[in-house]
Amino acid sequence: MNWRKWNNILHRDIGYISVGLIIIYSISGIAVNHISDWNPNYIINKQTFKIKPVSDSTLSSDQIVKKVLSELKINDSVKSFFRSEKKSIEIFLEGKTISANLTIGKVNIETVKNRTIIKETNFLHLNHPKKIWTYVADAFAITLIFLAISGLFVLKGKKGFEGRGKWLMLIGFLIPILFLIFYL
Amino acid sequence: MKKISYALLIFAITATIIFAGDGKKYGKEISLKNKTKIGDILSNPAKYDGKKVLVEGTVVGVCESRGCWIELSGEKDFQKIKVKVNDGEIVFPLEAKGKKALVEGEVYSVEVEKKSDCSGTCGEKDKSKEDECQHTKKTEKVYQIKGFGAKI
Repeated sequence: MNWRKWNNILHRDIGYISVGLIIIYSISGIAVNHISDWNPNYIINKQTFKIKPVSDSTLSSDQIVKKVLSELKINDSVKSFFRSEKKSIEIFLEGKTISANLTIGKVNIETVKNRTIIKETNFLHLNHPKKIWTYVADAFAITLIFLAISGLFVLKGKKGFEGRGKWLMLIGFLIPILFLIFYL
Repeated sequence: MKKISYALLIFAITATIIFAGDGKKYGKEISLKNKTKIGDILSNPAKYDGKKVLVEGTVVGVCESRGCWIELSGEKDFQKIKVKVNDGEIVFPLEAKGKKALVEGEVYSVEVEKKSDCSGTCGEKDKSKEDECQHTKKTEKVYQIKGFGAKI
């Protein structure tokens, strides 16, 4: 069996194995590429409400929490709360944070939802699991190098590397080089 | 079909065992045993500057875009301290808000610029050009914790 046949077999089968990871890394790549325009992990919704000001200074923080929640007609269970200053309180619920200015009765409710699938792809792409995933990601990177090089030699002749392949590869190299010249 | 069901069951049980426990761990293992009160650090920060501490508090703030910091509340009202971690080394999830966290790290100080109010000798005309109002800009020392490991 000649080397090209082995090259093609390995390129094909390793390519099949890599499809899942290529898609995961590509989706996350697009998502985090636009981090200045959106949050790639969460959908954050902010709403403002008005309630009656809570001016009674004798109320305990627990009583204030109950009062604010009853004004907002929210029955969710409270995880915890925090008072950063006397006039305000933050109440933490599951997937929700309520920030109230008690003196003017202005309430901001922030709801956080996961961006399903994209969040998971980011988790893997940005190597948040660490540990063994680091080596999986390294192996995948090496695999991509192999796929890139072996892909050059899949076809022979005019449509192969000896033909137009080398010119197209050159264009591929020129794209980042041109950007580096203009931006560096 | 039976084989797949068994495989899924074993996977689910293994995952439950692995991920079960009291809180999710972030970064390095916590090595300190004795906790320091956040209130103590805030009331006498210079004493703790450069020292490794183990603190516990409720997560009251999380960096929305990169998860690179959290704010922990102290034992009393109106107390909080920021825990900053190296970008990407530890990523705190937004879901951490409102949960109890145990953090190990080193206390350090940063100079931050106080927001200029363009008061004093700055005229009305200059109020729109804050950059030219250098004389009113002041800095203050803020104490934070550089987080190495956490359990939330």
